[in-house]
Amino acid sequence: MSTCEVIRESLGAWLDGELSGAAADTVRSHLQTCLACGQERRQLEKLDITLKSVLEAQTIPFHAESIWHALRQRIETKRPWYVEVAAWTGPVLRSPSFAWGVPAVIVLLLGTIYLDSILPGWNSGSPRDNFAAVESIDAYGRNVALLREYETKTTVIWLYQNPDSESEASGETSNKGPAF
Amino acid sequence: MAEVSDWALVEKCQAGDMSAFQELISRYQQKIYMVILGLLRNREDTLEVAQEAFFRAYRKINSFQGGSSFYTWLYRIAVNVAIDAQRRQKRNPLEFRESMDGIMEERNEVAKDPSADVHDKELRAKLNQAINELSPDHRAVIVLRTLEGLSYKEIGETLGCSEGTVMSRLHYARKKLQEKLRAFL
Repeated sequence: MSTCEVIRESLGAWLDGELSGAAADTVRSHLQTCLACGQERRQLEKLDITLKSVLEAQTIPFHAESIWHALRQRIETKRPWYVEVAAWTGPVLRSPSFAWGVPAVIVLLLGTIYLDSILPGWNSGSPRDNFAAVESIDAYGRNVALLREYETKTTVIWLYQNPDSESEASGETSNKGPAF
Repeated sequence: MAEVSDWALVEKCQAGDMSAFQELISRYQQKIYMVILGLLRNREDTLEVAQEAFFRAYRKINSFQGGSSFYTWLYRIAVNVAIDAQRRQKRNPLEFRESMDGIMEERNEVAKDPSADVHDKELRAKLNQAINELSPDHRAVIVLRTLEGLSYKEIGETLGCSEGTVMSRLHYARKKLQEKLRAFL
């Protein structure tokens, strides 16, 4: 970047009196020797004068009393509850930080679903009831229950007597506990 | 009699004194109105937005702790409401621009020399158009600096940005205006 370009970048700030001593001196001394930057300075000054006059020309007298009257009426009017709620929540919902909130919640939900599919039961505090039970009859005609526990990969075979067949076959009581 | 300070009025207002708020508004309403008009360039919207800004100021007055001056705080609210309105503004600002020359003639602000008059009119028309084409952020710094004469620090406080950002925005805003008006300057 040439010296002139650097000077022109801070010319506006210099004209506004916003440059500190050393920076202001640099601009001032450059302007004494550079005709092109001097021309740029005059253009900026003319632009500022015209801008001020154009913007000031907008000054149109208005009725302060009527504005205050309308404002007071608005202040004193009790707003419905939903307008109050919207007034409180609106700025929060429109804030830039909330803009990240919605995608973050979506990502979190998708992550939870994905994690649940690859690690079933990851989010449960206590071991869940993941037994599979099958009732069957073994080779001797006895009733058995096969219990398979997924997490420990343990199969429990629970042998028990059918009260009806027991009484028919051996005449023993049916209150006998399970045999393992 | 010495004028009551803004802060004293704010404290009264925080205690529920509506007349103190009225006094505060009467001190700054013209300036606020001008800033909003400078940003929106539409008279009807300006009145609406100014009222909304004052209303919001009233609702938030209890949260004002005096960290900045009252007018900077009020400007911040007004500029934010105006920028929001500007972004969703549907009315054509050209309607305003076309009437600008008429207003200036009425106020006898146009040069008397006929040739200068034509040149001046053209320059003002072009400038109005160029201002309308600025982004809300660029227009805000131009209005606060040129019209209100705020320092870069005050503009930064009003817009919620650093002095460096203000300097940069002003530089680019002026550059854009200059490019569009080069033939007239």
